[in-house]
Amino acid sequence: MKHWKRSTAAESVRKTYQQQLQKTDQDLAALLEIHVEQGYKLAHQADGELAGLPFAVKDNIAVEGFSYTCASKILEGLKSPYTATAVERLLQAGAVPVAKANLDEFGMGSSTENSAYRSTVNPWNRNRVPGGSSGGSAAAAAAGMVPFALGSDTGGSVRQPAAFCGIYGLKPTYGTVSRYGLAAYASSLETIGVLSPDLELTRKVYDCIRGGDFRDQTSMDIPEDPKKIPQSAEKTEGSYTLGVLKGELGLDPAVQQNYERTKAAVQSLGWQLKEIEIPMLEYAMPAYYTIAMAEASANLARYTGIRYGFRDTTAQDPEELVRMTRTKGFGPEVKLRILIGTYVLRSGFQDRYYIRAQKIRSLLQQELAEHFSRCDLIMMPVFPTQAFPLGDSGLIPIQQKVADRFTLTANLAAIPALSIPTGIDEGLPSAVQFMAPAFGEKRLFDAAARVAKVLPPPEIPRQFSLEQLIQEAADV
Amino acid sequence: MFDTFIGLEIHIQLKTASKVFCSCGTAFGDDPNTHVCPVCLGYPGVLPSLNHEAVRFSYMVGKALSCSLADRMLFDRKNYFYPDMTKNYQISQFHEPVGVNGSFSYEADGEVKTARIHDIHLEEDAGKMIHSSASSLLDYNRAGSSLLEIVTEPDLRTPAEAEYFLREFRRMVRYLGVCDGNMEEGSLRCDANVSVNFSGKGLGTKVEIKNMNSSRFVRKALSYEIKRQRKMMKLKRPIIQETRLWDEKHNKTLGMRSKEEAHDYRYFPEPDLPPFVPGKAFMESVDAEMCELPLDRKERFISQYGLRRDLADFITGERERADWFEAAAAEHADIQACATWMKGELTKILTNNSLSFSVSPLTPKRFSILLKAIDAGSISAQQAKKVAETVITENAEPEDIISRSGFDQSASRNREALAEIVAEIAAENPDTLKQIRDGNQKAVGFLMGQVMKRTSGAADPGAARNMIMEQVKTQN
Repeated sequence: MKHWKRSTAAESVRKTYQQQLQKTDQDLAALLEIHVEQGYKLAHQADGELAGLPFAVKDNIAVEGFSYTCASKILEGLKSPYTATAVERLLQAGAVPVAKANLDEFGMGSSTENSAYRSTVNPWNRNRVPGGSSGGSAAAAAAGMVPFALGSDTGGSVRQPAAFCGIYGLKPTYGTVSRYGLAAYASSLETIGVLSPDLELTRKVYDCIRGGDFRDQTSMDIPEDPKKIPQSAEKTEGSYTLGVLKGELGLDPAVQQNYERTKAAVQSLGWQLKEIEIPMLEYAMPAYYTIAMAEASANLARYTGIRYGFRDTTAQDPEELVRMTRTKGFGPEVKLRILIGTYVLRSGFQDRYYIRAQKIRSLLQQELAEHFSRCDLIMMPVFPTQAFPLGDSGLIPIQQKVADRFTLTANLAAIPALSIPTGIDEGLPSAVQFMAPAFGEKRLFDAAARVAKVLPPPEIPRQFSLEQLIQEAADV
Repeated sequence: MFDTFIGLEIHIQLKTASKVFCSCGTAFGDDPNTHVCPVCLGYPGVLPSLNHEAVRFSYMVGKALSCSLADRMLFDRKNYFYPDMTKNYQISQFHEPVGVNGSFSYEADGEVKTARIHDIHLEEDAGKMIHSSASSLLDYNRAGSSLLEIVTEPDLRTPAEAEYFLREFRRMVRYLGVCDGNMEEGSLRCDANVSVNFSGKGLGTKVEIKNMNSSRFVRKALSYEIKRQRKMMKLKRPIIQETRLWDEKHNKTLGMRSKEEAHDYRYFPEPDLPPFVPGKAFMESVDAEMCELPLDRKERFISQYGLRRDLADFITGERERADWFEAAAAEHADIQACATWMKGELTKILTNNSLSFSVSPLTPKRFSILLKAIDAGSISAQQAKKVAETVITENAEPEDIISRSGFDQSASRNREALAEIVAEIAAENPDTLKQIRDGNQKAVGFLMGQVMKRTSGAADPGAARNMIMEQVKTQN
């Protein structure tokens, strides 16, 4: 970590770092704004382990003075007037936000191709997507541009791009990280998450940003009393019982290969595998999208051009202004989700869709709670494929949504999940996902560390050597 | 021939230190957009923080209205677009509001009547939009203010009842200290629903009336509307369920030109605010802030103090008057005299000096001293009025004013006081004394005038003239 801290310590190095980031990003298109000096001014003087570390922030999370576009035209030019709590805690620890990362518009998508500004590429293969919606964060961290990045995970948006880019991606327990400053998409499903090639750093960042915040009344501290933690996360080391889904999962051969290899690897560690069935999983995707789109339709209603962001200048009255701004400012995927969300909330339809989806959600939570009484962890794939090609995922939008079924489970159940890079197959990163009961992050980190001993994560494809960079600057 | 059904929807702005979901202040009338923050402006990423003072005030009103109070209160999103709404959904309550099934008693022409309360719910206010010829102006100072909505059942039967209800309701919220009850400024707003039907046929088609900014206008608007509906029914014309606006210039209700479709608000539970569970400590804090309600207090004043109904009505009209009265009674002031004085002279003097009873320099204690002086014969009732005024304008003790004005009618005290005053005046006017010595009779008149002025006309003219001549003699 020492070289990272030195990247921000001296002004000359910061300048060089800024230039190098810009140069690298011409290639990757991961970042929407790069401003090392500005981030340095925000960071506090501090002494701890995160002090001086640069990081990227997904552009749907507020950093005062930086862009806050959510990769949408409707917020073009907006600079955030405040800073998200999670970022504020990192600033207090002395970490330095240096860039805003690209994403699928408002977090809606699985490839970052839905960004209104640019498409990010995967550092492992320029013809492939980095995943989404936190694709910019994943690419930047995987390419060695920053040691870690913040993203957001509503249905897999931290874990899937982390998997596609060969790094760790943590989706914390819902409520353990304040959502204040995260532009809301699906309020009851999303969390801010951490992406990094370094597992230990992922854990440290999580410890820094977590905890109750009065500005987010759904946030909470991890309970001190283990009895208050469901399925007491007491067991945080040793041999785990791992629940794995029974039957055919519909995975690409490379993903299947990695999955089997991982099962064998954990057994070599002495872990027990337990086959489980989650019948509600079949309904998870429609339930998830019903709830997510319903909440999104309300959460995105505030974007009208009246108070901030892009404003249509041709309108003749307020109503037309709102209509034209939203028509011109939103991308097609966003419009689709708002329309469906509005539809499922319509009076007379709520029983059929929204309330039913919430019932499915409850049942899924019950099924998982049942399994966690006998398993310490549940393993699932992250996505049925590895990073797919840009421009043509081979999946039509609805298929892409079905493919989210492994990740959105954790969002519906509000439990923590970690995407673990387990190697390379056919030239692309492979990964698996561990899920733990609520507040079980410690167990996730311990398990991942053990897995790393038998399945080391792939070496990240460095775009530049920061050490060399710092050395060169020092020599000048 | 006809039955009339009137229900009221009353909105009161709660006098909380800050807005209902953020810490912005709530002062009225300041420059536009100066009491705003990212939360109440609906920036991306912000979240509501529940103001517990607003909740406490709401429970207090619920108690005063004998409602069943929620032991698990929920918020819901009410979704609709309007430029003065920063999020284009209002955080309100639908499923589990503060209180339900209450009742409120009021006096109508000497008879106590009761109307049922359907529910009371806490919500946030919108901003203000003003249209000018070329543009629409938006001021968001009010956006996010705490608003409590009280919905009655259609139990009111006449426009007069509606007016009495509203006046009593206003008095009650002022007593509790939760609202100013100012209809002109908008801190208390009232919409009315009225339907007319042939006797015994139940509720008719409901028409909503808005834009009435005084209880008098509520009565006038309802009178007009009821006449209109009766006429329609007699002519066998259908009554359209609509919203009509009160036109105070032309004393009629007008249908709105644009056809307003019934809104589908797509209510769903607010995911950003967990259920509010009052708990024992909270309910105790509510109880601690309750006070005797005005109607009860009036009846008690009549029975306990033997007050005439109209006097009791006046004194309990404002809580501070009732408090002042009881404090005076505790000082053993004569009850009847006190009540009469309050309604008459005291209100006149205080109003002339732009003061209210709660800040009156003529405190209950000082007042009781004054009454005792009248009782003892030290001063006349007429003189007492002057003393009262002087206490108020000079914030002085009544005894001091009485003695220095020489009002005390006991002879020797009068003499002494008068001699003092004459001596003072003589000392202040040495030249005038000289003139008198030189034979100027008008100068005597001048000094007499001074004496009369300083004794407020109470001096014995003969004695005063003698004393003046004495002064003239002794000057040399």
